[in-house]
Amino acid sequence: MTRKTCASLIVVVFCFSFGLSLDKSPGVIAIKGAKIIPVVGEDIERGTILIKDGRIEDIGQNVSIPQDAEVYDAQGLVAYPGMIDSYCYLGLQEIGAVRATVDSRETGQFNPQVKAVEALWPDSMHVPIARSNGITTAVVVCTGGLVSGQVGMIRLTGWTPEEMVIKSSVAMHIQFPSVPRIRRREAQPQEQTSKKIEELKELLNEVRYYQKRKEAAQNNPRLPLPEFDEKLEFLIPVVNSELPVLISVYADKDIKAAIQFVKDEKLKAIFFGVTDGWKVAEEIKKSGIPVVYGSLYAMPSEWDDGYDAFYRNPAVLAKAGVVFSFSSQSASLAKDLPYHAAKAAAFGLDKREALKGVTIYPAQIFGVDDSLGSLEKGKVANIVLADGDILELSTNIKRVFIDGKEMDLSNRYTQLLERYKKRH
Amino acid sequence: MRTQKISFIVSALAAIFLLVLVSSARVGPTYAIVNCKIVPVSGSPVENGVIIIRDGLIESLGAQDKVAIPMDAEVIPADGLYAYPGLIDAHTNFFVEPPKEEPGQRTAAAMAAQPEEKNWAQDVNQMAFDLLKPKKTSVDSLHMAGVTTVLVAAEKGIYAGQGALLNVNGEKAEAMVLKNPVALHINFTTERGRYPSSLMGTVAFLRQSFLDASHYSTHKSLFASSSRGLKRPEYDPYLEALCPFAVEKKPVFFNCANLEDIKRASRLIREYKLKGFITGANEAWRVADVVKELGVPLLVSLDFKPPFTSIYVNQGEEMKKKAEEEIYPANAANLHKQGVRFALTSLGLKRSSDMVKNMQKAIKAGLPREEALKAMTIVPAQLLGVADILGSLEPGKIANIILTSGEIFGEKTKVERVFVDGISFKVKPPPKKAQPTTLNLTGKWKATISGPMGEMEGTLDIQQEANAISGTISSDMGQWDITDGVISGKELSFTISATIMDETIELVFSGTAEQDSLEGTISFEGGSAELKATRIPERSSQRRGL
Amino acid sequence: MNRKTIIFIICLSLAVFSSLSSGQDLLINNGTVLTVTKGTILNGDVLILNGIIKKIGKDLKAPEGIKIVDATGKYVMPGIIDSHTHIALTGTNETGNAITPEVNMRDVLHAESTSIYTALSGGVTMVHTMHGSANPIGGENIVLKMKWGKTSEEMIVPEAYRTLKFALGENPKRANSFIIGTPRYPQSRMGVNAIIRREFLKAKNYMEQWDRYLKAKKSKKPAKNIIPLRKDLQMEQLADMMRGKMVARVHSYRADETLEFINLSKEFGFKIACFEHISEAFKITKELAKEGIGISIFLDSWAYKVEASEGIAYNAAYCTKKGILVSINSDSGERIRRLFNDAAKSMKYGDLSADEALKLITINPAIQLGVEKIAGSLEVGKHGDVAIFNEHPLSAYTVCQMTIIEGEIYFDRAQYLREREEMEKNKKEEEKKKGGKK
Repeated sequence: MTRKTCASLIVVVFCFSFGLSLDKSPGVIAIKGAKIIPVVGEDIERGTILIKDGRIEDIGQNVSIPQDAEVYDAQGLVAYPGMIDSYCYLGLQEIGAVRATVDSRETGQFNPQVKAVEALWPDSMHVPIARSNGITTAVVVCTGGLVSGQVGMIRLTGWTPEEMVIKSSVAMHIQFPSVPRIRRREAQPQEQTSKKIEELKELLNEVRYYQKRKEAAQNNPRLPLPEFDEKLEFLIPVVNSELPVLISVYADKDIKAAIQFVKDEKLKAIFFGVTDGWKVAEEIKKSGIPVVYGSLYAMPSEWDDGYDAFYRNPAVLAKAGVVFSFSSQSASLAKDLPYHAAKAAAFGLDKREALKGVTIYPAQIFGVDDSLGSLEKGKVANIVLADGDILELSTNIKRVFIDGKEMDLSNRYTQLLERYKKRH
Repeated sequence: MRTQKISFIVSALAAIFLLVLVSSARVGPTYAIVNCKIVPVSGSPVENGVIIIRDGLIESLGAQDKVAIPMDAEVIPADGLYAYPGLIDAHTNFFVEPPKEEPGQRTAAAMAAQPEEKNWAQDVNQMAFDLLKPKKTSVDSLHMAGVTTVLVAAEKGIYAGQGALLNVNGEKAEAMVLKNPVALHINFTTERGRYPSSLMGTVAFLRQSFLDASHYSTHKSLFASSSRGLKRPEYDPYLEALCPFAVEKKPVFFNCANLEDIKRASRLIREYKLKGFITGANEAWRVADVVKELGVPLLVSLDFKPPFTSIYVNQGEEMKKKAEEEIYPANAANLHKQGVRFALTSLGLKRSSDMVKNMQKAIKAGLPREEALKAMTIVPAQLLGVADILGSLEPGKIANIILTSGEIFGEKTKVERVFVDGISFKVKPPPKKAQPTTLNLTGKWKATISGPMGEMEGTLDIQQEANAISGTISSDMGQWDITDGVISGKELSFTISATIMDETIELVFSGTAEQDSLEGTISFEGGSAELKATRIPERSSQRRGL
Repeated sequence: MNRKTIIFIICLSLAVFSSLSSGQDLLINNGTVLTVTKGTILNGDVLILNGIIKKIGKDLKAPEGIKIVDATGKYVMPGIIDSHTHIALTGTNETGNAITPEVNMRDVLHAESTSIYTALSGGVTMVHTMHGSANPIGGENIVLKMKWGKTSEEMIVPEAYRTLKFALGENPKRANSFIIGTPRYPQSRMGVNAIIRREFLKAKNYMEQWDRYLKAKKSKKPAKNIIPLRKDLQMEQLADMMRGKMVARVHSYRADETLEFINLSKEFGFKIACFEHISEAFKITKELAKEGIGISIFLDSWAYKVEASEGIAYNAAYCTKKGILVSINSDSGERIRRLFNDAAKSMKYGDLSADEALKLITINPAIQLGVEKIAGSLEVGKHGDVAIFNEHPLSAYTVCQMTIIEGEIYFDRAQYLREREEMEKNKKEEEKKKGGKK
């Protein structure tokens, strides 16, 4: 063989193996030239993010890009962590008025055994729409009754529910008994509410006793095993503080009662809703319980609270030092998550705090901040490239990466539009 | 002998003549009220006055030395008392009991099939007189409030039928009637489950109805004047019923719950040239200009509860309180300041005592006392067209007089005696003030009534608010209302309005109560019975609703 | 100029002045003035005299003692117009019958409704408040200015078109209601269409009968057996539509039912001002543009019922680009506070420019309602209806600071915040007193 042929052979083999290696699973992706807002740590004016095996391999101003990396030129764009929706019905609701398409609510008062993620419809048209607006992770919830069930965390991509589920159970959803606002006979409703809270407490005591008996039976084979009780079984992690409770509570009296309840029962808790939170900010701060806001698009019921009560709420609680996050509380309007944060910013919340409320704070609240919520080395590569402030209404999302893979941004909206463009 | 016979015949005839005269109306003996301060309303007050009542009319009145006391008069010393014309409550729902609809009836009818055509004629033609159930307790409480004439009408329905003007002279409906009917009553309310089921529908419906009534009447008159060759009008009971008001312009009362209702009524009255009256109108001061321009009789209610539409009600608790306590009570005072003439009524209030209380509030809020008095005497008499027989103390007018211990509507003033159609009624003292109580009797009770007719089981459903007790008692004989209930310390009293075979009798209970048991005596005309009751404990709800 | 003309001019001027007898004087100073139709003026002033915009420019001279609003650093835009709401009314639907053109929103105005204040807090100065969508033919609607604190009469906008509400699809056929007993006709889209056609045919017959009657009465020898005709308020409304005195505002979602209704309108010769909601407008832009019919829609509220399940967020922008007059509405006492947020989304979903987006909530609804001569943009001669924002109205971070109607300030956020502070202070003092007593 001539030296030339040898060299070319080597080159060919080299290229071939190189090509093969390109076909292999992801390799390295480099997003370069973007302004990076990692949310934790300083902004990077123009930097590079390296993605490998679904994780952020490296991130910074002067990151060297490996030769075989797939490079995305992101000049003029801003890189954000994928947003996290702390409370929504994605995959559980298609068309609100059609019950056959709604799976977010079970019947009965006590359903700790149901898991929201077990009703997911991966082909929901709402998922791609939310995804294409930069939302990459969501907490999907079941509601109804007193103990609604277990809420879970999903990624907004996947062919099957299993592929979507990040954590099948992140919290037990409880609708806290609330004092109805009847003018006359104030005494009665309060009593009834206290009764319901008592019932809840009794239930939790039963769970503790049930657990103890189980343990005792396990240690001593001679003791009878307590009969399996579905309701009690699934509440065991709750009384052990292994599974936090997500408590939906709104009015100030109820928030105070809920704080007491959590303290008495020694539970790990997250509050949802908290629309009257601004009235009891100190108490919430002292309790250390984080707050997930629902949709800010609701009307306060009392004139005295002021027309902007729900808009101001987050700023007041943030000032008091309460940990918080935002949610869309929707399926069809899940894409509006960033705009709730922006609304809070318009009414006094620091803009950067608002951004954290849809990124790192939800990750911290739901205990996944070791892998999600910010652009940091080692975290999951959920990255969004936007042509401006991600919380602004007119901003366009150019690219979305989930687990380091680029997502298809087409959705029901774009599909219908393209189809009908052909008509005209 | 012949002259003896003639004189006998003459005196016999005279006696018969007198008898006939005397028995032509239900009137009492001749009275002479002496030494009172007369406030006639139509003139200046008279100190040390005398009023002579004969045959139900005021025969004469004036200063003591100017008026002779007839020999057949029963003298009523009225030292230190004031004599006023009996008050006229120109719009109330007292005495009128609507036929009780079975609770399930309406919804079942709505659910079962196409809603049957509504019989509007029936609603228009419903005479309040036919629904009168004068109760002694109501008569007494009206007298206590100084009211001797009432215009009663049914409460509910777009058409609440036609009202009657009554003298509160007892419990026999026929004897009370002064004028029947007076007017058609219209409420800005809606039907349920059928057209019109919204306020906009009701207004449009009224418009079309008045249009149709005129059209119907025109067709009828055309047909009446020359029928040959003309298609005959099809008989329509509803339009027949409406014609007197739409065409002949008989009076129509529009019950206006808020200021927009007043504007709605005003537009209808103008558009269809009706002889309208505005009633209710507890926000009238806010649209005094509309009222003035309309120029129709205005009857203003002393119910100060602000309508739910009011701007004062939906802007926070503080404003709402102010509305109930300061702003709405000043309605009459404000109207007076703006030069609007009005009568005052008790419409919407459930008790006559509330009317007196509220009248006092209205005066406190700035309504001059003389105006308040006029608004319940001469003004309603004028507005209702009975000023020649009522509304002031003048010779020849009906003897509706009240004797009070002090100036009318005074905080401490009590009505001592009342004359209606010249019949004297001594007024019962008001019930003692209730003692505070630690008991709360609200809830369900198992009751046993044992008496001469045997034993009867029933369930009491009691609601207690401060010292007031209300509720129902249910048994095999039906469900009856508990009224006028008072718990004073441990003493309990209430009245049961028992309806047995279309007759309503009043059973008065008086006894003692503990937190979970009560017992006492029920008295009724002709006997008494024992009532014992124990509380039914509330079932603890299922813990896990599986 | 002859005497008649002079008198005519005097009467006209009197009419103009009397129609705005409540208008006030105001100078808005040094803001970014977004006229919407005539560009943007930086550091611009708007002078309102007697409620009418007299001048727009820079460094305007104003009469002594005029009230001045300092708009430095702020954005001044025309008052927002919501062309589809149900606020300020006592009641929304007359469900007792399927056909109710005789009912009129003018009879049930509720000037004391706090929803008016809520609208003002979102920069809204004018609304088209309507009958609901429970009936194929609903009632007559009305246009109001949000003059919080004034009487209902003072709020009515007399310049607006008369409009009658029609509804197609799931709502009038009661698809999403729980039915007890016999269902009401119609229960299908074909029934909805048929019932509307029936009513117009009846109205045509009614008009003909009246024509004949009037002719017969006027004739030289009127026949003796002429019975006066009955005036039917329902038929009068539909007759007015066919006479061109009133236009249709039609609630529809699907493209097909919309096209069917356009055919109906042609069959009977009445005008459609606007289709409401019409999620599927993007499918029939050709037809809508040809007929010159506007649409009044949500930007992205969808999928709450089946007929709204193909409603795309690009609807507003795409239809605008295809030459259709588009307005964004709220149809909600809550969403009315954020119409400017919704308009902004049309820049993202369909690339409308900022001015085009603002038009969706100002001049476009004004044209649809027939009030473009007096509202919808900041132009000399129009009413002084203005909304002032602290950030650009199309930014997510903006808050409406002040809402002005005919030169009078009806909403002032600064004052609201002061009042709140007072209230909080008073509450704290009361609590201290209560605590002290204990």
